[in-house]
Amino acid sequence: MRKEDTVKLISAEGFEFVVHKDAAMVSQTIRNMLTSPVVGSFAETQHGEVTFPEISTTILEKICKYFYWNLQFGKETEFHIEPELTLDLLGHCPFCHWMFEDKIVA
Amino acid sequence: MSNQKKRNFQIEAFKHKVVVDPKYAEKTWKILEHAIHEIYNHNASGLSFEELYRNAYNMVLHKFGEKLYSGLVTTMTSHLKEISKSIEEAQGGLFLEELNRKWNDHNKALQMIRDILMYMDRTYIPSSQKTPVHELGLNLWRDNIVHSSKIQTRLLNTLLELILRERTAEVINRGLMRNIIKMLMDLGPSVYQEDFEKPFLEVSAEFYKGESQKFIECCDCGDYLKKAERRLNEEVERVTHYLDTKSETKITNVVEKEMIANHMLRLVHMENSGLVNMLLDDKYEDLKRMYNLFRRVHNGLSTIREVMTSHIRETGKQLVTDPEKLKDPVEFVQRLLDEKDKYDRIISSSFNNDKTFQNALNSSFEYFINLNPRSPEFISLFVDEKLRKGLKGVSEEDVEIILDKVMMLFRYLQEKDVFEKYYKQHLAKRLLSGKTVSDDAERSLIVKLKTECGYQFTSKLEGMFTDMKTSQDTMQGFYASHPELGGGPTLTVQVLTTGSWPTQPSVTCNLPAEMSALCEKFRSYYLGTHTGRRLSWQTNMGTADIKASFGKGQKHELNVSTYQMCVLMLFNNADRLSYKEIEQATEIPASDLKRCLQSLACVKGKNVLRKEPMSKDIGEDDAFFVNDKFTSKFYKVKIGTVVAQKESEPEKQETRQRVEEDRKPQIEAAIVRIMKSRKTLDHNNIIAEVTKQLQSRFLANPTEIKKRIESLIERDFLERDTTDRKLYRYLA
Repeated sequence: MRKEDTVKLISAEGFEFVVHKDAAMVSQTIRNMLTSPVVGSFAETQHGEVTFPEISTTILEKICKYFYWNLQFGKETEFHIEPELTLDLLGHCPFCHWMFEDKIVA
Repeated sequence: MSNQKKRNFQIEAFKHKVVVDPKYAEKTWKILEHAIHEIYNHNASGLSFEELYRNAYNMVLHKFGEKLYSGLVTTMTSHLKEISKSIEEAQGGLFLEELNRKWNDHNKALQMIRDILMYMDRTYIPSSQKTPVHELGLNLWRDNIVHSSKIQTRLLNTLLELILRERTAEVINRGLMRNIIKMLMDLGPSVYQEDFEKPFLEVSAEFYKGESQKFIECCDCGDYLKKAERRLNEEVERVTHYLDTKSETKITNVVEKEMIANHMLRLVHMENSGLVNMLLDDKYEDLKRMYNLFRRVHNGLSTIREVMTSHIRETGKQLVTDPEKLKDPVEFVQRLLDEKDKYDRIISSSFNNDKTFQNALNSSFEYFINLNPRSPEFISLFVDEKLRKGLKGVSEEDVEIILDKVMMLFRYLQEKDVFEKYYKQHLAKRLLSGKTVSDDAERSLIVKLKTECGYQFTSKLEGMFTDMKTSQDTMQGFYASHPELGGGPTLTVQVLTTGSWPTQPSVTCNLPAEMSALCEKFRSYYLGTHTGRRLSWQTNMGTADIKASFGKGQKHELNVSTYQMCVLMLFNNADRLSYKEIEQATEIPASDLKRCLQSLACVKGKNVLRKEPMSKDIGEDDAFFVNDKFTSKFYKVKIGTVVAQKESEPEKQETRQRVEEDRKPQIEAAIVRIMKSRKTLDHNNIIAEVTKQLQSRFLANPTEIKKRIESLIERDFLERDTTDRKLYRYLA
């Protein structure tokens, strides 16, 4: 896994998840972050890492799992979400909104 | 979470994070505003996308969407105003570059702003019916930059000036042009059209108007067209390089209108270099160019076609009515063919084989060929010439080509029956004199005529060939049954079916005794094998080979006509004969006799007879002697009869009359055929139908048709309707 092919996602507690760019880009928002116009782009684009101060490790882990799930099985297959996580996934995370919009009807 | 559960759950919006800080919105906006500034200042690397996104998200979530949106508009506008100033300040050539650079910057910034405001773009904007961020950015650019008073006209003038410079062969920065034009197109089709395309087309029209005026004063037609073509290509090229593809037809229309349509007639009729001159000089390239350019404008091709048609008609008319050129029929037809070839080549190589042009060519030929009533005769004479000797040593394919060309001329003839009449005469002469070069060529032409005009047209011609064949067999049979005839003169008889051959009133002359005895033997042989037939001798059509020895013992074989033979044979028993004596002894019709004596006594180098007095013409009181001094370097001497190649005036009249006679039954037959199926028909319709039916053979004269109708009424085939006198009724 080459460094330039990966991106580091950091949770509120400081846990770092290193995931493939392909997987992270399942989220349109993260895709925008990472692919902004080259000149004068955002900090995230330059460093290859994104910090989510409002997303807990548990949630971020679940999100990362979803990225790979989606990459492998596509949007159509069912992705299991534990009921106790649902609310957090929906409420805490501005990024989740778009990721799960077709999974969760809010 | 399963789909099943999805339907049962209704999750309420999350409410735990209630904003307590009244300055929350203001604070958050400040962060975002700062970020926008930084983005425009190329300073975004210190910004966290995640943070900005989250802030924008929260603002929208907490119902500050309106504030966010209006803040964005204000901030962006103020940036654009600054950009506008810096563009305005750019000097001369840098203006477009600066504009282009700022446009690129703005686009990038816009992209980033849109990304961080994505949540607003997706939720707040559709629900409040605002303009999406990207479009908003373009609109603000349009209003603050492109439509700013200090930039708008300057931009247009700069663009137009650059194009003008390119038109005057300067090199400009096409890449920059493309970017700027692309910018205008990105701002919406109306911006491109109003701020650039419309004035561009106007200026172009003005430019080409002036230029075409200048060119047409000083260039000849060919050069002008070259220039116009080049301009047209340049404009097309310009469009592909840096304009909207939709502009192509618009700008080419302008060039076409100003450079071609407006000067079309003047170009075509240009003195010494116009269309007529191009046609005369076979300028294929120029003609092709003219065709391709004129094709683009309304009425362009029809203009070329009309001028060409009238030119062909005019030259054709001169050709067929010039008495000088009518002297030699073969030459005359050759000229027609050359003319046709010339235009065929022009149409195929320059006019794209355009069907309408071919039709125009055909109708022109049809028009002028029929202006000369002798055309059918001449065409037949041409064929005659070709089949007599012209085709010797020519390959089969070339023969076909020549015959096909002749057929093409034949198609133009309105009076095909006149052609048939002459063709029959000429064919008869060819067959009887054994002069036809190629039997295959003869038959091939007959087949062509047959396909063109049907069986009826050629049945008699084919009959002539059959007669020739049968005669050969008959002669073999005759000599086989008369073996004792080996020593005497040889007789070859061709038995011709009456009706198939052009009949001439046969006046039999007195044959020499040896010959008439032989003829009698043949007659009894022939009538013995075929019952119920009648033979009459056509002495005017035969030929004879006779051996003669002259004063100093020189021997020659003379090839003469039957008449000439009769005359010469008289000199076996006499040294001097007067005209009267010859006439009495032979009973050859006076005009034929004179011609025959003329060719025997008056043609230099072939004068086997001597005449007193010496003169060119034959008088009734002349006397004739054998010319003992006759010499020739050839053993065989062919003495041609002085024949008019073309028909003389009275002969022509006669043929014409015969044709008219022959037409009568054909017209009547056509009328009866039509009336039989229609039962009743009015006068005009009959005329029209008859003309149509007979078109393939000749152009029926309406007064003649009327006469035929009257004749049919007299003979109770038709009657006039009792109430409507114009209506005819068929009587079965």
